[in-house]
Amino acid sequence: MSIRKIVTLTEDVLIEGGREVSPAARVAVVAAIVKNPWAGQGFVEDLSAGIDVNASDIGALLAPRVLEALGSPAEAYGKAAIVGLNGEIEHGSGLIHTLAFGNHFRDAANATTLLPAVEKRGPAGVVFDIPLKHITDATIRSHHQSIEVRINDAPHADEIVIALAAAAQGRPQQRLAAFSTEAK
Amino acid sequence: MNEQTFGIRKIVYYSEEILLENGVSPAVPAVRATAAAVVTNPWLGGGATDDLGEEVVQLAPVLARKLTDVLVANLGGVEAIEAFGKAALVGTDGEIEHGAALIHTPFFGNLVREYFDGESIICFADDRGDAGGSLVVPLWHKNAAATRSHYQTISTRIGDAPRPGEIVVVLGASTGPRPHSRIGDRRTDPVVKADTLGELVS
Repeated sequence: MSIRKIVTLTEDVLIEGGREVSPAARVAVVAAIVKNPWAGQGFVEDLSAGIDVNASDIGALLAPRVLEALGSPAEAYGKAAIVGLNGEIEHGSGLIHTLAFGNHFRDAANATTLLPAVEKRGPAGVVFDIPLKHITDATIRSHHQSIEVRINDAPHADEIVIALAAAAQGRPQQRLAAFSTEAK
Repeated sequence: MNEQTFGIRKIVYYSEEILLENGVSPAVPAVRATAAAVVTNPWLGGGATDDLGEEVVQLAPVLARKLTDVLVANLGGVEAIEAFGKAALVGTDGEIEHGAALIHTPFFGNLVREYFDGESIICFADDRGDAGGSLVVPLWHKNAAATRSHYQTISTRIGDAPRPGEIVVVLGASTGPRPHSRIGDRRTDPVVKADTLGELVS
């Protein structure tokens, strides 16, 4: 696994809708900028070897870091794979859509649900939004949220940005009716 | 100080740890980071000759305290911080001078130096723009501004700030030099003048 850079981002919201948010609502992201394991190889039919070599290691690196950056137990989470311009979106999907990647985060966060994800391709500096949902019940509407990320010089054309996001709470000022009150 | 008084809406921390540059691990590893506060512009609707001093005294020290706290906590303490810089991005309803007021007076800069245990003038960027505007924050050594190895920048951006009536105030720091810094320093530079270069610049 060749990692060029690790980025950490936290956002603390203190005011939303003109009203105080107390305690401040924190969402954290940690991203690794990795070399695309399939760069320069043309169309690779079977991606499993590259996935086996890299996905678990990247998950193991990011999971403790994003929880440390959050500084509180995670209540919602999500993931991202942003592929540089020379790669296939399938390359990013391969690295994050495997239990070998996600289970590091699920286990560390005592989570059970699937991680919502964004997969896209773009140039260095592309803006992407990571969706987050509740870690044990994806129907908990208060915790549906997203965080916006941009890394100025990544991904290079032969790189992939792999990221995890965690939130310590639902949306600031969340006040929608629960899913359970509608789903009848 | 009640931060509600001046409406800090959001505090954003961003850091980059370089593991490889040009394929090689830096001999001296460093983490570069920014801490940014999104505040309500306290001078909205004011005139171009208004005295900005009262709000500077109330708001700038609070920002210096909060932003240095965030960077010290995340970068491993005051001793770990070797370089610093600052920036302000004013929303489109504000004056460039409003951003300058929050970062270019002793009520911000002196406190940053005190909390970071630094002596240098703090290098800076200021601009006006829409939410999501990217800002390049210059950094240099906190005690020896001419230390060339520590000339570096970090880009920062907040997707939903500044709103037209807000200002984003940014403090940047680095725990070390550029990766692979190797362009000499003032002590090693040859004498360079137009006439020593001869035909190249004739």
